[in-house]
Amino acid sequence: MREFSVVGKDIPRPDAWLKATGKAVYTDDIKLPGMLYGKLLRSPLPHARIVNIDVSKAQALPGVKCVITGQDIPKVKYGNWRLFPATQDEYALAIDKVRFVGDEVAAVAAIDPDIAAEALQLIEVEYEELPPVFDIESALKEGAPVIHEESPNNVSVTRKIEYGDVEEGFSKADYVREDTFTVHAVSHAYLEPCSTVAQCDLDGRITLWTSTQTPYIIQCLLASTLEMRENDVRVIKPYVGGGFGGKMELRPWEFCAAFMAKLTGRPVKFTLTREEELATGRRRHPMVIYSKVGFKKDGTLVAKDLKISLDGGGYNSMGPTATFLCGNFGAMLYRYPNYRFFGQHVYTNKPPAGAMRGFGAPQSLFATETQMNMAAEELGIDPIELRIKNAMVEGDVIPDVATISSCGFIDSLKEAARMSNWKKKRKSLAPGEGIGVGCYSFISGGVFNWFNTQYPFSAAEVRVFSDGTAHLLTMASDIGQGSDTALKQILAEELGLEMKDIRVTSADTAVTPQADLGTWGSRVTLMAGNAVIDAAKKIKEKLFGAVSARFNLNVIYDMECKGGRVYAKGRPDRGMSFGEAVAMVQKAQRGEPLVARGYYTPRGKGLVTPAFSFGAQVAHVAVDQETGKVEVKKIWTAHDCGTVINPMAAEGQLEGSIHMALGYALSEQFVMDKGKTLNTTFLDYKIPAAMDMPQSKSAIVDTYEPEGPMGAKEVGEGLVSPTAPAIAEAVYHATGYRCKDLPITPEKILKGLRDTKKRKRKRS
Amino acid sequence: MGLPKFNYVAPETVQEACQILEKLGGQAKVMAGGTDLLIKMKHGALRPKTIVGLRKIKELRKISFRKNQGLFIGAMALLEEVASHPKVKKLYPAVAYAASQTATVQIRNMGTVVGNICNAAPSADNIPSLMAFGAELIIASPNGERRILLENFFKGPGEVNLNRGELVKGVLVPPPPEGSGVSYQFISQRSKVDIAAVCVAAMVVIDKGRTRDVKIVLGAVAPTPIRALEAEGLLRGKKLADRSIQKAAEQASQEARPITDMRATSEYRRLMVAVLTKRALLEARQMALAS
Ligand SMILES: Cc1cc2nc3c(=O)[nH]c(=O)nc-3n(C[C@H](O)[C@H](O)[C@H](O)COP(=O)(O)OP(=O)(O)OC[C@H]3O[C@@H](n4cnc5c(N)ncnc54)[C@H](O)[C@@H]3O)c2cc1C
Repeated sequence: MREFSVVGKDIPRPDAWLKATGKAVYTDDIKLPGMLYGKLLRSPLPHARIVNIDVSKAQALPGVKCVITGQDIPKVKYGNWRLFPATQDEYALAIDKVRFVGDEVAAVAAIDPDIAAEALQLIEVEYEELPPVFDIESALKEGAPVIHEESPNNVSVTRKIEYGDVEEGFSKADYVREDTFTVHAVSHAYLEPCSTVAQCDLDGRITLWTSTQTPYIIQCLLASTLEMRENDVRVIKPYVGGGFGGKMELRPWEFCAAFMAKLTGRPVKFTLTREEELATGRRRHPMVIYSKVGFKKDGTLVAKDLKISLDGGGYNSMGPTATFLCGNFGAMLYRYPNYRFFGQHVYTNKPPAGAMRGFGAPQSLFATETQMNMAAEELGIDPIELRIKNAMVEGDVIPDVATISSCGFIDSLKEAARMSNWKKKRKSLAPGEGIGVGCYSFISGGVFNWFNTQYPFSAAEVRVFSDGTAHLLTMASDIGQGSDTALKQILAEELGLEMKDIRVTSADTAVTPQADLGTWGSRVTLMAGNAVIDAAKKIKEKLFGAVSARFNLNVIYDMECKGGRVYAKGRPDRGMSFGEAVAMVQKAQRGEPLVARGYYTPRGKGLVTPAFSFGAQVAHVAVDQETGKVEVKKIWTAHDCGTVINPMAAEGQLEGSIHMALGYALSEQFVMDKGKTLNTTFLDYKIPAAMDMPQSKSAIVDTYEPEGPMGAKEVGEGLVSPTAPAIAEAVYHATGYRCKDLPITPEKILKGLRDTKKRKRKRS
Repeated sequence: MGLPKFNYVAPETVQEACQILEKLGGQAKVMAGGTDLLIKMKHGALRPKTIVGLRKIKELRKISFRKNQGLFIGAMALLEEVASHPKVKKLYPAVAYAASQTATVQIRNMGTVVGNICNAAPSADNIPSLMAFGAELIIASPNGERRILLENFFKGPGEVNLNRGELVKGVLVPPPPEGSGVSYQFISQRSKVDIAAVCVAAMVVIDKGRTRDVKIVLGAVAPTPIRALEAEGLLRGKKLADRSIQKAAEQASQEARPITDMRATSEYRRLMVAVLTKRALLEARQMALAS
């Protein structure tokens, strides 16, 4: 393994201090002179035709400067799947119909937020109610109400994957099992609610500060919906308090802020409330997952048939990607010689589901992993042994999809078993306690260009200066995951500089190089990291040339940038400081600064991703047999994320993932009544609190990803998948209650315990 | 949703505070820590024109114990102060425990026990154990003071027996009888830092092997905290055997009138009343026997 100076070190994030002390400027902190405050009027009905909207009273309220409805805006639909315009099914404000409780109907901008809120009350909307559907089954029924005319059966996207011969595979199986799993919606619950500020300059150009993961996507879609040129829209991402997939689309308030800024000539800000976020925000897809798997007696997998229906809510949002990916994740982790997937994205009259950390994996893998645990029991094989037997290894090929270029899965399984003392604990825990295992594999960014970008997937510009410093410009978006720090580390490593020598400017579409698809799919470290290395290499070539000329070096000399110097590798005395080398290049260029751009676009990497991460997790729980309450006592994780750029940050991702997955497994859900969300505060939407966090121990398995920057791959999302199945298995181990429909609630456990008792009584 | 506009007054004596309340009537609201009040105002559930802050009235911060009178918790005594007070911990451990389990450390350093009582949430953590101890409230008005048993204070969710011009000066908890034990049990959806879905306090006084007195208080399963009187009746004067505890627990669960809401179903709440009552009685018995 290569020795690193900056990469692989625990480097505290410079922004952490600013955030902890309240100094970081988030979008809602921005106040511009003359700024107006916007509010959205949302549909109170799950499904209705808009007959008439009367805004006259709202307009007449003193302090109100602008009121708009769907009638006032360009009739341009948008959606992230630009490559397939048919999937773009949303207007910024509803034109004819509303499709969920919370659908945006009108917007108001006023001189203060209270007046804007009051004005909303004065808007009179006449609706003609339409029959709603709230679940997949009813939406798919013959004669069900149609939510979008373009999809008469309420199915907007389907996807098939097939390789091998599934029927043939099952015919050779000794043991086949079929199960149906259901998983529920959960909220991203990012701590910073969505917020946006738009300003229109004298030339009519728009600047939008917005809490987003995808400035470039917002720029493009905002331009198209405003009917402007892309370059006339500038999107700037300030500090962002989390996104988790929930901030990667153009959203109505972004459009409305810009549109109303144009109309009024004054800046307009929108900040959503927590109630709006929870009642109407994007969420993780609920799914119904039918899975059939076949094994040989010895545990060898022979076939899998997977059918998934996604409950998409009222619009496509990122549903097409989720439909695409959950089928890919169904084929991961194990070697399925025969595999078939059918996925369909179904409209219902609920707030749309979108991208959320794991993007189809937490759902799909909950089914895979639970079924694996069930099969292990019936085959009489230890669940970890069964996994090792079928585990993917480096070099495995998933037909049409990818070749696994690095894989530490088996090592992860072994390490998780060792750390947790698996064998012993499986046999000898106290009554009411149990342990279980769950695993994951995840992508390091997507390959499929659904946004139809005309630019490289990632880009970086590096400027170097004779004072020995560098400036990195990139559109990559740090939303709290720490990409600014990671990319800085990569550049520092490559140029032989220190962290303090590098300035970063990121995520400003008018300043940073075109383009970057944004922060999602765990793509940033790998893709933007590669772009940074590409730019740095170009800089280094110039520096090497200058130093080489200065010392009249033989052309065969290898050269390097390290410790703030540029020199011949075998002859460190033949060299100079980084700054001196830059100065020489600049002189040779007669003053022209030394700047280089680097790019990365994955090519020849199949359909899904350039690199996969892997990992295994063991959970230890104690279940109160009288109350059904689950306490997660400890979690052990062993994972493979390639070269670790910043161990401290990787651990942060693990802890955050455990936290999020704990909520997914045990406590978080939307309580809904006829399409209306009832739990709209953090009092009743139960994110685990700090005190609920289990102890955690982790190990990183040593691998090197050839496609990744310095061998790195993803660490941000995959880890959110193994926890729910691991906890579910541990609960089963403790109580005999097998969860096939998340979340695992005390009531389900108590019922399960009663059923287990009944079964035992019958048997004896 | 910001705070609506309001006036703020901070009188320096109880007398003065009562006079202001008398004058303003329903237009005014008393504020202790504000951890309930301000949130309700932000959500538009309460719109007082004037807030009468009690922070400047020094005597209300007091927590004191006298052998013959018992424990006094002043209206401005913080949850954290009650939770960590040595006398409370020693003589009224269930009261200290309930305060220590209320909310988070930040809230405990702002909110008060009396505020928790006056807010009159059916799920309030501090009411059941105080009721089990037979606590009384001391209520001040411009014309003097009156006392009321805590269990007679509640009229419904958020509604209490206070007249115009009145405020609660503090809680008076009688000295724990010899041979007594009080236990507080609760369950919520998250394991910690959460509002109770069901809470139960039980007090037993054991005298020569028999239950001389018993109180079972159920929270979050009726519009106000309630006594499970019939369950108590099953135990009074009897030996406190495991079997009778189980019976009483089941009876208490029948006396509960839980609803289904987004926090729990009524069936689950009913089941939990039995479980928590049993646990509370078992722990109270153990404490009584050890005393
Ligand atoms: C994040 C969070 C978590 C919480 N968790 C819990 C929990 O776990 N368990 C729980 O029980 N509660 C919880 N609460 C609720 C709240 O913190 C408690 O009820 C607290 O004890 C209220 O005390 P306070 O001093 O802040 O009351 P305030 O908000 O000042 O007052 C509450 C009400 O009582 C009235 N009032 C106050 N003092 C008097 C008086 N002396 N005389 C007459 N009327 C009076 C006020 O007018 C108001 O109507 C939580 C609140 C928050 C914000």
